[in-house]
Amino acid sequence: MKEKEKEYLELFKAEAHDQFEQLNRLFTALEANSDDKEAIDAIFRITHTLKGNSMGLGIQSIAEISHVMEDIFGEIKKKKFSLSSELFSNLYRGVDKLGQLIQAINTDEKVSYKGIRTKLQVAFRKILPEEEATDDSGSAVVVPADLPNAAETIVATESEPAEAPVAPEDSLSATEEQAVQEEAPAMEETAATESQEAEEVEDDLSTVSDISFSDFVNVPIKKLDGLIDLVGELLIEKDSLAAGRKDGQRNNELALLHRITSDLQYGIMGIRLVQVGFMFHKFHRIIRDVATIEQKEVSLNLEGTEIEIDRNILKILSDSMVHLVRNAVSHGIESPAQRRASGKSTRGNVTLRAFNEKDTVFIEVVDDGQGINEEVILKKAIEKRLVSEEIGKGLSKDEKLQFIFEPGFSNAEKITEVSGRGVGMDVVKRATESIGGRVSVQSEIGKGTVMQLALPSSMALKGALLFQMDRQTYAVPLSYTEAVISLHKKDLHKISNGLMSSYLDRPMSVFFLKDLFQYGKTMDTSFDFHQGFNALKKGEKIEVLVISYQNTYLGFIVDKLLQQKEIVEKTLSKPLDQVPLFSGATILGNGQVCLVLDIPNIIRKVLKNKRRGQEHEYITN
Amino acid sequence: MSQPIVNDPLHGQSTDAMKGNANKQSTRSQLIVFKLGGEEYGLPIDQVKEVVLTPRLAPVPHTPEYILGAANIRGSVIAIMDLEHKFHLSDQIANVKAQEHYSLVIENEKFKVGVLVKEVPNTLSIDSEDIDDSKEVLQFSSLKEECVRGIAKVGDRMIILLDIIAMLQMDDVTLGS
Repeated sequence: MKEKEKEYLELFKAEAHDQFEQLNRLFTALEANSDDKEAIDAIFRITHTLKGNSMGLGIQSIAEISHVMEDIFGEIKKKKFSLSSELFSNLYRGVDKLGQLIQAINTDEKVSYKGIRTKLQVAFRKILPEEEATDDSGSAVVVPADLPNAAETIVATESEPAEAPVAPEDSLSATEEQAVQEEAPAMEETAATESQEAEEVEDDLSTVSDISFSDFVNVPIKKLDGLIDLVGELLIEKDSLAAGRKDGQRNNELALLHRITSDLQYGIMGIRLVQVGFMFHKFHRIIRDVATIEQKEVSLNLEGTEIEIDRNILKILSDSMVHLVRNAVSHGIESPAQRRASGKSTRGNVTLRAFNEKDTVFIEVVDDGQGINEEVILKKAIEKRLVSEEIGKGLSKDEKLQFIFEPGFSNAEKITEVSGRGVGMDVVKRATESIGGRVSVQSEIGKGTVMQLALPSSMALKGALLFQMDRQTYAVPLSYTEAVISLHKKDLHKISNGLMSSYLDRPMSVFFLKDLFQYGKTMDTSFDFHQGFNALKKGEKIEVLVISYQNTYLGFIVDKLLQQKEIVEKTLSKPLDQVPLFSGATILGNGQVCLVLDIPNIIRKVLKNKRRGQEHEYITN
Repeated sequence: MSQPIVNDPLHGQSTDAMKGNANKQSTRSQLIVFKLGGEEYGLPIDQVKEVVLTPRLAPVPHTPEYILGAANIRGSVIAIMDLEHKFHLSDQIANVKAQEHYSLVIENEKFKVGVLVKEVPNTLSIDSEDIDDSKEVLQFSSLKEECVRGIAKVGDRMIILLDIIAMLQMDDVTLGS
């Protein structure tokens, strides 16, 4: 077995064990009060999840038992009929059997489960509406002729009200059929020997009372975060210790301390890392659902599922990923007829790919569909007054495509179930940037689209460039810094109330960060951004931080550039979290607080305001 | 104990009735008492996590003047506020560098802030009977009613009881966007 699968199986086992214990608890609650609606709902939910998870891993036995239990509880939920004590004891045995099966997952121990499963299936059929149940009302023995009927009901209950209406899909009914086929001999078994079941019961009794422990410990993320904070402090203390030492003074001990702290840090960060496969695998279902609704044929391919990333990042991005994948199917992949017409195979492909480069993890959603026509995007952007026609014409293809990330921009011609509610890509973008990542799009008409998310592999640690302003140290994430250049006063030019310079022969807006800090207080659009410039002496050298964001460069003039450093960024607590300039803070070796610039937010909130103001001024003049 | 001073005689009776109520379930509570602009203010002791010497502050641009900056207190970055300035008790922003000051660290699930105080704060145990929760006294002050739980009279001391959590939750502290 591959390492990866083994890990999934271990995780499944841990989770299933948990669920088994919950079931036990819930059944006890239900026994005490058979009208306990919450317990009924919870059992239904848990058995449903357990069924889904075990099916995904191909553990037929657990899937079957949890399936029939789910069915029974589905009926109980619907019709509110009360549980007979016979059914109840059978259900109890079903739960015990689940426990044994879960325990047996990696011991390869054979656990017979078909007897109890059949019992439950019979019980289920008894509680079904009359017309379906009449067939076997005469005898408790199930005749194989009934099976197609049973299979139908199973498939029917499969599509739950809570989820989008989905027609039974091939693969699913295939599993069912398979299950039914396997059932046939089992039926005979039960019909023939009640004694075998008696054996099983004894078997149950011998193992039920065992208390077992899983090899996994569930830890609330909060506790891990607490540990990470502590390690962050430890690093700071270590740094200050190192700073206070003169050269040659017990360097060995310091080196040892350094090694231990950094091992500790990476160890704890490692606990939070999960394989992107965990998220990717959830998309089989989503693709299937969306493809059914859209009446398209789509295959999902997964690449690089073993790449590891911070669990929190996956959590923050999960909604965005769902959005991107839905978009790929509903906007990217063409209908089978269209695909045939353009000489492609009728089945479209969506690929989820992950790979890493140094500390950056890339996640791509790739489709081989129709691609995005940037001229259509531009037309929409002009219609929605996101850009003027004159400016729009002069933009590059990439710049035109960028409009899909603007708030309120939706490419869908009409609103469908799947996509096109006018929120979407801007949310994806904001979510990605909130964790220091970037999103980009590449598309070729007729060939397909690649949506790429470049993400930090850990949220706790990031590369940053430190600089000084007014004797205060600030940091800017390296992911946004393009270059550091030196300029003189003659290189800067006043333009309206702002400043211009050039970088790589391209014009670039430049700001004295000091002015920008001032400007934020008033957001007065007539703010004079020349103050720093006016105070500058002729011939004096200035240090400029070139920020790259969405294919544009911006220059921030700072007092003094310091070193590059890996920092542990902490989020700011209220009320500082409302300051648009900063995303967080870190603590330096000397114990000082160092604020971290929030580049996307500065550009989005602070500078957009200014731009709008200028446009406004222009119109009113 | 002496009758509370009530400005409006019409309200006198209702206040007495309220006091009657309070007598039945009078409890003692612990306060942290500190001085702002020469007056004494009090906070319930459970709202104050600790009192520390104010560390060096990093000024945070784009914040109101009374937010003096961000400080590193036991590894977390919190805002230090100058309530004297916020309550218009002093025209001058506290100069933290010049003198040693203390900070009360106020913490609940949502907030963690520091309040700058110039003298070492004290604890004081008061009886709930001593608290006059009439809001009338406040109507000509810049303090919002929600921010004050009442006035405690202990001997000839007048202690203004702040509800700092309410104050922080009010939009009052919202910063420029």
